[in-house]
Amino acid sequence: MRAETAARSRTIVGHAVLLLGVLITIFPFYWMFVMASNTTGDIFAYPPELVPGPHLWENMNKVFDGIDFWGSMGITVVAATSVTFLVLLFDSLAAFAFAKYDFPGRRVLFWIVLATFMIPMQLALVPQFVTLAWLGWVGSLKALIIPGAANAFGIFWMRQYAQGAIADELIQASRVDGAGFFRQWWTVGLPVLRPGLAFLGIFTFFHIWNDYLWPLIVMTDPGKVTLQVAVQQLNGVYTTDQSMVIAGALMSVIPLIGVFLIGSRHFIANLAAGAMKF
Amino acid sequence: MAVSRRRLLALGAGAAAGGFGPTGCGSQRTLGDPDEITLWTWDRSVSDELVARAETKGIPGAEGFRLSRTNIGGHFNTKVRTALAGKSLVPDIIGINSDVATYFPNQDVFVDLNDFGAAELKSRYLDWKWNECVTPEGRMIAFPMDTGPTGLFYRTDLLKEAGITTDPKELAARAPDWDGFIALGKELRKSQERAVICPNIHHVWSIRLGQLAGKFMTQDGRYIGDRDELREAFELAYRIGRDGLSAGAPEGSTDLYGVVTSGRQPVGIGAVWWGLAFPESAAPKTEGKWRVTDPPGGAGNVGGSFLAITKYSKNPEAAYKFITWLQSPENQVKAFTEMSLFPSSPRSFTRPEMREPRPFYGGQRTIEVFGPSARQVRTVYKSPYDRVMDPVFAAELANVESGKNVDTAWRDAQDTIERELTREGAI
Amino acid sequence: MGLADAPRGKAVKPRGSAAKPPPDGSRPLPGWRRYWPMYTAVSPFFILFAVFGVFPVGFSVYLSFMSWDGIGETRSIGWDNYAYLVTDSDFWQSIGNTLIIWILSTVPMVFLALVIAYALHTAVRFKAFYRVAYFVPNITSIVAMTLVLGSVFSDSSGLLNSALRAINSGGVGWLSDPWAMKVSVAAITIWRWVGYNAIICLAGLQAISSDVFEAAKVDGANNRQTFFRITLPMLRPVILFVAVTSTIGGLQLFTEPQVLFPVDDNGNVGGPGGEATTIVLYLYQQAFVFNRFGYGAAVGWALFLLIAVFSVINWRLIGGRDEDAIGTGKRKGKSRAR
Repeated sequence: MRAETAARSRTIVGHAVLLLGVLITIFPFYWMFVMASNTTGDIFAYPPELVPGPHLWENMNKVFDGIDFWGSMGITVVAATSVTFLVLLFDSLAAFAFAKYDFPGRRVLFWIVLATFMIPMQLALVPQFVTLAWLGWVGSLKALIIPGAANAFGIFWMRQYAQGAIADELIQASRVDGAGFFRQWWTVGLPVLRPGLAFLGIFTFFHIWNDYLWPLIVMTDPGKVTLQVAVQQLNGVYTTDQSMVIAGALMSVIPLIGVFLIGSRHFIANLAAGAMKF
Repeated sequence: MAVSRRRLLALGAGAAAGGFGPTGCGSQRTLGDPDEITLWTWDRSVSDELVARAETKGIPGAEGFRLSRTNIGGHFNTKVRTALAGKSLVPDIIGINSDVATYFPNQDVFVDLNDFGAAELKSRYLDWKWNECVTPEGRMIAFPMDTGPTGLFYRTDLLKEAGITTDPKELAARAPDWDGFIALGKELRKSQERAVICPNIHHVWSIRLGQLAGKFMTQDGRYIGDRDELREAFELAYRIGRDGLSAGAPEGSTDLYGVVTSGRQPVGIGAVWWGLAFPESAAPKTEGKWRVTDPPGGAGNVGGSFLAITKYSKNPEAAYKFITWLQSPENQVKAFTEMSLFPSSPRSFTRPEMREPRPFYGGQRTIEVFGPSARQVRTVYKSPYDRVMDPVFAAELANVESGKNVDTAWRDAQDTIERELTREGAI
Repeated sequence: MGLADAPRGKAVKPRGSAAKPPPDGSRPLPGWRRYWPMYTAVSPFFILFAVFGVFPVGFSVYLSFMSWDGIGETRSIGWDNYAYLVTDSDFWQSIGNTLIIWILSTVPMVFLALVIAYALHTAVRFKAFYRVAYFVPNITSIVAMTLVLGSVFSDSSGLLNSALRAINSGGVGWLSDPWAMKVSVAAITIWRWVGYNAIICLAGLQAISSDVFEAAKVDGANNRQTFFRITLPMLRPVILFVAVTSTIGGLQLFTEPQVLFPVDDNGNVGGPGGEATTIVLYLYQQAFVFNRFGYGAAVGWALFLLIAVFSVINWRLIGGRDEDAIGTGKRKGKSRAR
């Protein structure tokens, strides 16, 4: 009896803690909506407006006037989709080779992949920019897509996944059928790796969508910037109209949250599993 | 979500292909379509109406070319320099603020306007302004836009209260120099206890600097930023702060507007554009009460800007046609009536539109103050390193204003500048 | 990019080769013909790494001995960039700021993540809902949420100070006071990462087999003893993982302070007095606001050195860990390939 009440009270305390945490976590989203749907005057008045107001549409229209919202959205979508596709392609090929095949230099090469984790990309920010200038890519989408088209994290993670998920017998059977490496990757590897690909895909997509420092530096044509940079510019130019700026922020976040809610279960489970591999 | 591998492959490949866009795999050095002359400016730097005309009807004198302008918000110089360092998608024409000398070390990235016969137009513009466009090596890398001749702005109603004359000539005679100006400020205190004569002491410094014949360096690269004249200007700024005649509003803060709106600052020395940015927009209710007269300490210039054509331009000829058209004397008049951008061509000064009585200034013809002021400005050599020195003085003056010893601040400023110039390889 | 981690000091075990000679009796192909597909498969990463990793890093060594504005000519200046760097008070201030913000954010975050993870572990219902709710901050854009929270922290009329006024206490200069500014940046970081780390910790908790707890119960350990003697020690690797990723992320903090305190006309960053300037923000300012490319390269190396020092410390901490503290790393088979 006593143990049961203790357990129940512990559960209640647990839920209370969790709910409080959720409230704090979710509050900024609520507040974002409140700000975007009121006027700046209402928000910064004392006492401030605490519930959503009727001005959302008006603020959103101001955002369309202030920045080329759909244009930046298009650039962001193209960049994020392209990088995601290339990362899945290149990383899964490399991971498949590292996980299931022996070839001379394999260990050394894999160690290089691991070592690149340790090098912070910001270290080489200036020379990377200069490299792109020499290539003539500054300001173009290539600058956002190519440098990140394959990454160490994805290769490492996919290799761990592939080692556990792909049975050697399947590959052997495929070989007997006369399939070469690439056909084996296509017919044996990819179908089994699908959940892992889904995780890595969502992860990469979010990462590129939210990336800020690199596009801020490298997208020099003000008519061609990503959504993050465009929203930040909105703040630079219209600092005094916070409601409008926050409406822009809201518009830049909605697609992401939508994608996340659709794929969240899968993503979170894989993320935790991935962390446990280190 | 059962998407087949093949469909996903097709989808991704399509997106990736889209990423390489219309430019193909080569790189595009200039920004814009082949028939577009691209221009980067900041807000309120050129006449919007004239730009719109060139965007819709094409550039006068350059058949088949139209203009495409982008207003860059935020840090303009950073964006321009990053684009120049990136060496691709560089606009044909860029606006340059009063710090044109910053670009002298990189003069090669701009076309020499003398190659297009700019010399023929020299007589149309103020000499001192024209000289600022020319590098020590004699290349003309920029073209004059507006100028910022200074005047003394004052509110007649508040001066009356203090028993001070409101006649422009008499007032100018009362405060011919800075000491007279300080005395005027003390006079104002009799009727208005908290009256100030400047928003902050750095403002005094920059106005005084605009009146002197030299800045921080000589043309042959000697540092002269420690000479007595500047030391005195530094002291002057300090004295005005010490006597409580500065509002102490930080640069770039909204308090700058507040002191004008509230009437706490009944007098102010500023360039033409100061009148527009402060009294006219921050205190519209005071219309008709303001007047302008000659500034204490002599004529000077603060601000003003330029246009330059980059070497990446797809057609420098067409770009040159555009800038000379946009800055012709008659179009400079237009820019003045539309945006209060003060002309750099004396030929504009005599135009009837320029001589219109200005209602905000009680029907005064302000050109009668600013015209002569603009003609009297001296040629001052500005060095490429001013951009590292200006902030040092600004920072130390802010320190002085918040109580730092003026001698220590001056010494610290000199030490910091020596360190910075050494770093830049200037000394 | 993405999840940084500290590789374990353990070589990859060569696997049973799947490229054995085919059983149909044909002779094995010569080396290059047999291996070219694998080399082709791993080549994209290495080509990109060479062009956008190795080359720039090598080039930045050269660049750090130059004075260059990115546009004109380079000028060789020897060690001057480094000499200037070690005597630049702004640089040291940015290091101090980064470390302070890192401590202000990491310590409460690890603690909160553990609390939430523990609560999630004991909760029976709504687990899926909680996990999604706690994870959302991590995937939303930093720029957008920094703008929102920046408005909340606004000095004169932000929500937080309005709330403080309502309970009759004076406002705090969240965006102007040296300490409060750092707290604001740290708060945004905590908000963004606490849920993510809680989910990682939860996975660690769930990996501890229940036999251990049963055994503890049999031995008569109470809850507190169980937590401090069993749960925490067994969670050590996970806590270290969280600490390591937070360290690397914390040292590279950029977006929050950059968006919270926009660059002003003089090129100053990091708000009043530069009190929120982080190392990467300082690098950005020097290289891309003041166009000192050579100096920016030198700052990059300073950043690298700093991260290397921290990595070595982390490595030492991890090196002393029990390899098999977590059972899941060893899971094999297709258990997760559902």
